[in-house]
Amino acid sequence: MILVKDISKQYGDFTALENINLEFTNGLYGLLAPNGAGKTTLIKMLATLIAPSKGEILYNGKNIVAMDEDYRSLLGYLPQQFGFYKNYTPKQYLLYLAALKGIGKKEALDKIDDLLEKVALREVTNKKMKKFSGGMIQRVGIAQSLLNDPKILILDEPTAGLDPKERARFRHLLTELARERLVIVSTHIVSDVETIANEIIMIKNRQLLYKDSVERICATLDGHVYETTIPYEQLETYRRQFVLLSEKQERGSMVIRFIHKGEAEANWLPLAPQLEDVFLYEYRDDIGEEV
Amino acid sequence: MRVLWNELKKILTWKMLFLLVLLNSVLYFFLIEFDIEHFPNGRPALDSYNIGIEMIEKYGTHMDEEEFLDFKQAYDEQVKEADQYLQSRREFVEAGLVTYEKFKHFDRDNEELNALHSKVMFEEKEVNTFWELQERERLIEFYDMKDELRGYDNAQQKQRMEELIASKKYGVYPEVVIMNFRDFIGNVTIAILFSVVLVISPMILKDRSRQMLALQYTSKKGRNLFKTKILAGLISTFSVITALLIVYFGVYSLNDTSMYFDVPINTFIGNASWYDPTFFQYILLCVAAIYLIGFVFGLLAMSFSSFVPNSMALIGIQIPFIVGMIIVIGGPLMRYIISIWNPQWLAPTVYSGMIVISVIFIILLWRREKNRDIVL
Repeated sequence: MILVKDISKQYGDFTALENINLEFTNGLYGLLAPNGAGKTTLIKMLATLIAPSKGEILYNGKNIVAMDEDYRSLLGYLPQQFGFYKNYTPKQYLLYLAALKGIGKKEALDKIDDLLEKVALREVTNKKMKKFSGGMIQRVGIAQSLLNDPKILILDEPTAGLDPKERARFRHLLTELARERLVIVSTHIVSDVETIANEIIMIKNRQLLYKDSVERICATLDGHVYETTIPYEQLETYRRQFVLLSEKQERGSMVIRFIHKGEAEANWLPLAPQLEDVFLYEYRDDIGEEV
Repeated sequence: MRVLWNELKKILTWKMLFLLVLLNSVLYFFLIEFDIEHFPNGRPALDSYNIGIEMIEKYGTHMDEEEFLDFKQAYDEQVKEADQYLQSRREFVEAGLVTYEKFKHFDRDNEELNALHSKVMFEEKEVNTFWELQERERLIEFYDMKDELRGYDNAQQKQRMEELIASKKYGVYPEVVIMNFRDFIGNVTIAILFSVVLVISPMILKDRSRQMLALQYTSKKGRNLFKTKILAGLISTFSVITALLIVYFGVYSLNDTSMYFDVPINTFIGNASWYDPTFFQYILLCVAAIYLIGFVFGLLAMSFSSFVPNSMALIGIQIPFIVGMIIVIGGPLMRYIISIWNPQWLAPTVYSGMIVISVIFIILLWRREKNRDIVL
């Protein structure tokens, strides 16, 4: 179990995170926030790359920094951006990282075959990575994070560069992995975690906003999400008055999905809130006083 | 061990080895080739070299009074040989140059005599006698002045010269070989230091700018990898220095100076030193100094590589640093490492200082690396 206790992080005068308290047990956690909200800072603290300015992170009661390699042995980490040696093949690259992870060569070779199969890169095992697309590089990154069969898997924006098919495959892989380990996935793409996360963590204004199941987070907007059809001319008025979640044109009119916390009008159709609605609502730009 | 091997492979790539060969080819032709191709460099350097070998073969590595008399006798015989040669040549007899004395002190304003003199000295390559006599005279002159203090700047130099005279370590052997070696080793040092910096400089920066640290530092090995990288850097430095020394000393062997190896360096003309190694021991001392400076350069290159923001900044720091250091080190700390014309404390102090500074640099960088936030 990982316990994040009163964590704050400051870079000079800038505060990136403030008094964050979290508890992670097994399962999949989706860390959901827009870019620049402090997700990567939190993730990097969990990966021991950044030290908290205040507070500490404990794994089974022990400080993760003090645990040193005992903690890192349990860790699989995929950074948002990671480096590779362009003249290495995936096999050479994974062997290099396996050595750093303390995995014997023979064991690593078996594991690499297996992982490259899992991320659909078996055919390019011995091809130089300089010829790879962004999606292929990302899949090599996912494979490296699993090399040491980690108990704690931390993935920062893992679906960046993946096409829809690869995303779907990746979600299946995550579901499988999360059955017997702790998986933390940081993303700003709601669909990456909406259907697979046991819990969603949202950070706002440098502080923890939610850490709860998708259902309970969605319940915060129960009865406030509507859909209606309006003439195009009224769109600007609605934009000013409500938090618009989506807009689409249909037979010369506009079908809009929006949030309103007051009395509903007769032609508004109430809808069940989705996680994306909460995301858009919580991280909205300045909205009119109506909401 | 695998981690170390992997780091070594990252440093000593084929591309880097190619660059190393290219750099050394250029530096060899600009700096080193002359000291190999043109040794001994004309005359009387060639005669000096040959007479030196003759002295070592006949008298060993020290020459006493009796041996000096023998040397003088050899000179007298060669003078007779020169006399006979001159007398056997009609044009010299007609010009009145029938003895070596007359040949030596000929009227330089007389164009006819000048032409004859030039003919025997420069055109008749097979006639060595006159060049050899000139060199023998110089050596005899130095031997005659062996007990004189030949200029000093301070009391320590004077005392050292007196010590050398008292222990009969006179500077009387031809200096052509050691002068050539000094030029050679000074230029080899420049080539080796440039090579070390070329190979070592990018190693830490590359991983940082490629954003490899996030993966490396979250592995089991973690930030200790920095120490492994330093070790790999030092091993690479050692390998580069050793390989280049093998190549350059292989080339130096063409100068064929091994006959001089047992001669104490204080017995070469104008070569008074604080210590008294043989020529071979002096070579070993220079080799040791190259390793030492090489490791210092390697450690400093790794230090710069650890904190500069990019390759351009690295080049910007490294080039003035290397050029400056080579100017400072090349002369007093390599070519004249134990010469009495530098204070006795200079070389040990500067070498120790460089080691201490570079080690402190690395320790500070390790402490920084252990705790710094890996933001990018």
